[in-house]
Amino acid sequence: MIRTKYIKIKDLNFIEKIYIIEVLKGFVITFKHFFSNLFKMFTNKKIITIRYPEEKIPVLGVAKLKSNHRIKLRHDGTPKCVACMLCSTICPAKCIYIEAEEVESIIEKAPKIFNIDLSKCVMCGLCVEACPEDAISMDKGIFEGGSYNRFLNKSLGGLFYTKKELFLNLENEKISELGASNSLIFRREKYE
Amino acid sequence: MNEYIKELILKNLGELKNYFLLNYQVIIEFIIKMFILYFGIFSFAALLTILERKISALIQDRVGPEKANIWKFRLWGLFHPIADGIKIIMKEDFIPKNANKFMFSLAPIITVFSSLIVFAFIPFGNYIQILDHKIKLILIETDIAIFLIIALSSLAIYGVFMGGVFSANSWGILGSMRAIAQLISYEVITLISLLPIILIYTPSTLHDLVEKQSDMFFGIIPNWGIILQPFAFIFFFTAALCENKRIPFDVVEGESEIIGYFTEYSSMRFGAFMFAEYIEIIFFSMLITIFFLGGWNVPFLKDYGFKIFNFVLEIDSKIVYLLELISFIIKVFLVSFIIIFTRWTLPRFRFDQILRLSWEYILPLSIANIIFTAILIRII
Ligand code: SF4
Ligand code: SF4
Repeated sequence: MIRTKYIKIKDLNFIEKIYIIEVLKGFVITFKHFFSNLFKMFTNKKIITIRYPEEKIPVLGVAKLKSNHRIKLRHDGTPKCVACMLCSTICPAKCIYIEAEEVESIIEKAPKIFNIDLSKCVMCGLCVEACPEDAISMDKGIFEGGSYNRFLNKSLGGLFYTKKELFLNLENEKISELGASNSLIFRREKYE
Repeated sequence: MNEYIKELILKNLGELKNYFLLNYQVIIEFIIKMFILYFGIFSFAALLTILERKISALIQDRVGPEKANIWKFRLWGLFHPIADGIKIIMKEDFIPKNANKFMFSLAPIITVFSSLIVFAFIPFGNYIQILDHKIKLILIETDIAIFLIIALSSLAIYGVFMGGVFSANSWGILGSMRAIAQLISYEVITLISLLPIILIYTPSTLHDLVEKQSDMFFGIIPNWGIILQPFAFIFFFTAALCENKRIPFDVVEGESEIIGYFTEYSSMRFGAFMFAEYIEIIFFSMLITIFFLGGWNVPFLKDYGFKIFNFVLEIDSKIVYLLELISFIIKVFLVSFIIIFTRWTLPRFRFDQILRLSWEYILPLSIANIIFTAILIRII
C-alpha cells in the first residue's frame, strides 16, 4: 500500500520575503561558529577534527577487521595456510599471488611464495571469507595505505606484502585451532 | 620633404627629452607607486585564497589547511598559497582539439588584464610623506574615473564569454551564456546604485569624494555613504557579489553542476581565472570602502590630529597620513572578509531567481532611490 504524507509548506511572511533580515540571522550563526573556533584555535583548545597522522584514536571493535592482512601461525610456528588458492581465486582485484610447495609434514602443502599487492587490494574482505583454514585474516590493526613506491616491500615503506611480513601471530593471541588441516593434526596426535 | 620630417622628428624628440628631464621625478614616483600597489594587490589576493579556505573551515568546525611547511615551520598554513601556486603551474596545460587556440588562450589574459587595469584609477590612500616629498597615493587621477572603472571592469565579460564559447565544450557554452545574462543584468546596477552617492557628494574625482566624506554630523556620526545611503550600499553590495560570480550568485561556475565557462581550462590558465576572481574581490572591496565607508577617513581624525569635541590631541601630519593608510587597508580587509563570509553563509539562488532579483526588484528600487535622493537634495 502506498502511503501519502502531505507536507504543508509555510508561506513566507513579509519580513522573510525582504530577505535582508534573514541574511543577517544567517550571518550571526556563521559568525558565532567562526569566532568560537578562532578562540579555540588561539587558546589551543580542541576543534572537533582529529589531525589524523599525528593524532590517532583507538579503532573500535569490528572496524579493526578491515585492516591489513596477515596469515596466522600454528603452535609449532608453521603457517596455517595450505596454499589452496581459494583466496587468490575469489579476490576481485587479483592481488594475491601464491606458489605452493611440498613440505615434510602431514599437511604436505604450504605456500612457497605468498604476495599481496596492497596497491591493488580493495579491502573487501572476501579472501578472509573464502579461506577454509582460517589462515588469512585482516586484523593486523594497520590502516595506513600511502607510499611513494608501490613496488617496495611493506617493511621498506612500500605497499607490497611478502611472506616475511605476512606470517605472524599477534601478541597475546589465543592461537586459532579452526580449520580442516588442524583437525587432521589433532586427530593424528590423538591416534598416536 | 625629407628634411622637414627629419626636423619634425628631431624637434619632437627634443621635446620628449625635455619632458623627461623636467618630469623625471614624477615618472620615477609613478613607477615606484605602481610596483608597490600591484605587489600589494598580488600578495593580498594570495592571502585571500588561504583566508577563504581557513574561514570556511572555521565556520564549518574544521581545522583547515595547515600542513604546508618550510623546514617544519608551518605558520598556521600561510605557506599554502605558495604550494598551490607551484602545484597549479606544474599541471599539464591542456587545449581541447576543436578549440579556437588563439581565442582560448586570449580569454584568461583579458580577464586578468581587465581586473588589474582598474586599480590605476582607484586611490589607495590619502598622501604619504617621505622626507619632504608629499606623494598622492593614486596612479592616474581623472574626473571620469568612476565611469572608466565601471566600463573597464565590465571588460571581464569578454574573457568569460570567449573562454566558454571557444573551448568547444557544451558545458562551457552553457556556462558562458549564463554568465553573460547574469553579468549584463548586474552591470547596470553597479553603476546605477552608485549614482545617488555621486548626487549627494558631487565629487570631482574619487580622491575628492573621500575628502567630502570627512565631516561629522552633530560631531559624532561620520558623514559616510553607508549612513546617508544604506539602500544604495545593499544594492551595490549585491551587485558586486554577482559581478564577482561568488556563491549566492554562482550558477556561472556551478561547482556542483560542473558547468562553467572554464570547464576546459587547466594549469595556470585556470589559475588566471581563479586569481582574477580574488583580485576582483579586492577591487570591489576598495570601491565599497571609497564610496560607502569613507575611504581612509578615521572618525575624529583631522589633518592636525584627533579632535573630539573640544579636546584636541595634536599629531604630526606624517603620522596622520600613515594612520589613514592603515585605516584604508583595514577597511578593505574587513569588506573582503565579509564578502568571503557571505559565500559560506548563504545558499545559492536559482538562475531565474537571480535574473528576477535583478530586473524586478533591485533595478526599479535603485532607480527609485536615485529619484528620491534627487528630490530630497532639491528640497534641502
Ligand atoms: S581484501 Fe579483497 S581485494 Fe584485498 S586481497 Fe582480500 S579478496 Fe583481494
Ligand atoms: S584460502 Fe587460506 S589456505 Fe587457501 S591459499 Fe588462501 S590463505 Fe591459504
